[in-house]
Amino acid sequence: MKRRSLVLILLLAVILLANGSLWAAAQAEVKPTGPVKIVYWRSLTGVAGESQDEVVKRFNESRSDIIVESQFQGAYAEILQKLQAALAAGDVPDLVLLDSPHLQIFAKDGVLVNLDDFVKKEKAGFLNDYIPGLLADGYYDDSLFALPVLRSTPLLYVNGDMLAAAGLPRRAPKTWDEFREFSKQLTKYNAAGEAEQLGAGFTTTVTSGHWYFQGAVYAYGGLVSDEDFNIYLSSPEALAVATLWQDMVFKDKTAIPSNSHDDFLNKKVGMVFGSTGSMGNLLSRADFEVIPAFMPGQKQNLVPVGGSVLAMPSTDKNRQWAAWEFMKYMTGTDAQAYLAEMTGYMPNSTSARNHPDLAAYYNANPVRKVALDQLAYVRPQASVISLPKGTEILRQMLEKLLIANMDPKQVMAETTADLQKEYNENFK
Amino acid sequence: MSKRQLKTALRQEGVVPIRMTRRAKRDMFAFLGFTFPNFFLLGVFVFWPILYSLYLSFFKWNMIAPKKTFIGLDNFQTMFNDPVFWLVTKNTLILAFFTVVVKMAIALGLALALNKNVKGRSVYRAIIFSPTFTTSVAVAMVWGWIFNPNFGLLRVFMRPFGIPPLDWLESVTHSLPAVIIVLIWSGIGYDMVLFLAGLKNISLEIYDAALVDGVSPWQNFWYITFPLLSPTTFFLTITGFIGALKAFDIVAIMTDGGPLNTSNVIVHFLYQNAFQWFKTGYASALALILFVIIMAITLVQNRLSRRWVHY
Repeated sequence: MKRRSLVLILLLAVILLANGSLWAAAQAEVKPTGPVKIVYWRSLTGVAGESQDEVVKRFNESRSDIIVESQFQGAYAEILQKLQAALAAGDVPDLVLLDSPHLQIFAKDGVLVNLDDFVKKEKAGFLNDYIPGLLADGYYDDSLFALPVLRSTPLLYVNGDMLAAAGLPRRAPKTWDEFREFSKQLTKYNAAGEAEQLGAGFTTTVTSGHWYFQGAVYAYGGLVSDEDFNIYLSSPEALAVATLWQDMVFKDKTAIPSNSHDDFLNKKVGMVFGSTGSMGNLLSRADFEVIPAFMPGQKQNLVPVGGSVLAMPSTDKNRQWAAWEFMKYMTGTDAQAYLAEMTGYMPNSTSARNHPDLAAYYNANPVRKVALDQLAYVRPQASVISLPKGTEILRQMLEKLLIANMDPKQVMAETTADLQKEYNENFK
Repeated sequence: MSKRQLKTALRQEGVVPIRMTRRAKRDMFAFLGFTFPNFFLLGVFVFWPILYSLYLSFFKWNMIAPKKTFIGLDNFQTMFNDPVFWLVTKNTLILAFFTVVVKMAIALGLALALNKNVKGRSVYRAIIFSPTFTTSVAVAMVWGWIFNPNFGLLRVFMRPFGIPPLDWLESVTHSLPAVIIVLIWSGIGYDMVLFLAGLKNISLEIYDAALVDGVSPWQNFWYITFPLLSPTTFFLTITGFIGALKAFDIVAIMTDGGPLNTSNVIVHFLYQNAFQWFKTGYASALALILFVIIMAITLVQNRLSRRWVHY
């Protein structure tokens, strides 16, 4: 009988241990003593990752009542998956770094903390310091759900030495027409008909291909989609871009789909697109003159702003308070000035932009200032990017145009239909 | 008939009811105690997910929203009307067929060659086996470089034949073959080792007898070696197909299913739906279909095996 009860107790223990939610519920009742410990899920590697850890370290040294633990969770897409799994398991981090279009997906289903109440408790005009175009991405349904950090714009990177060798000036093309012309001048084929050097590489990856395409459409004066999910891919502006890119690959044969900056660094292509965040990497790795420049204009200079936002999935009142304190610190002036200097991402506030350290840094490294200057010509990304399958559908569009060489009109119509269907499935 | 009468009647028929002695009861308890942890773990990590996934396949759910919407068989209807699903299924079957058949043919050839007394054969065996214990991520990354049209190794080998450099992984016609090549390469070693073991099991006396009868080398292979290897061949076919139908890592890293889904396979498509596009219900329905496909192929192979496998 004794042995039997022992076995029963053991079984009960196993079941209780396995049932994490019971355990968690019991723990939540305990009042915290000592500092509040919160978990921050970060993304990005290299300098962009290390400098976030440095910001966390500085914060922890400055506070005795909060301890932030920074955990690297992989690229943006991986964070998305892990957060999804964490939500299903009911065990979420307190803060998370999200690619800005992903915010909507989570805010829509109410798993992020609405920050409006926290803002109300701050001084009046607390939000005024943030650059409005960057802050805008943090809103869903007129409520604030995230603050901007590590923001970027798409840039055009050109190989100055290659331009000079082709008899061109050492500067980036100013318009898309000029871009096409430069690309022709840079291209070289050998006697066997093999391309030795090409003008440009077009990114078709799921993460950023759509971003550069949007930039080109904006330059032509068009839109990919507006805030109400009206899609304009069959507009003359979007069609002009689609046709231009396709013609450069298949008619002029001066450009290729190229998904890695290695083609640029190995001097296979003379011009590529990249994020502001790639600047440090490209400048340090190239053995030639890299000129970071504005995305080409056409009717206007206008680019979609990208990068991350800091959001709060925390479910505990005490930890939410601590998370807000850290959010303020990380998006605050000193941390932003430091992050901008280290990574090449843009400062998110007027005060950070005017920070003496950062001003001095830009004076010493004028080439880095391009990103900041382009900030005057930004608007948010197309709304369709926030659809779960949006970026994938746009990747397919680019593949149809630049790999399968399908008729642009048909491609744009198909893409519009796919996006519309995805919108109906998710938002209706 | 009362209970008592029933018992008597049964006893007369020789049916004795089992009565558990104390000892038997204790043994039973010990049995449960030992097997429970295993059943429990299997239940939590295998059976429960399978049943839950089956349940989810009738819902529309994004894994974030607190509410799941019951939609009956809509996920399956969407699937059967989705051209991408059919493309992906076709790719998966093509991939499985070519991977398994070519891989086994080469592995068998190598096993036959290395079963002979060639100099340094253990070195060859080790080299051929080495991809088996190499991480698939590393394999996919390195092959990604080999296939690179600008500085990949492959183009160096192709050039003498006048074949222009080709961007394998960015081509709608060549991305799937590229994935198949890598899967074959990384799986040959394992198959070869099993074939070698199978060859060792064939009694030499049979070959001696055949030698006396004066059979040709081809007859030797076709009438003796191949039939006697058939259990190994069968095992490798079944496991190979199941493995190839579940191909994921190489596809995810080398091509991400692209371009235009031309190298996409079911498991990767399922992963995209569940974890990138938040279509958990649809992904669960895909999982169920994959289960059915694997089950069907295995059953057919089992049935066919009666005709050609000799134990």
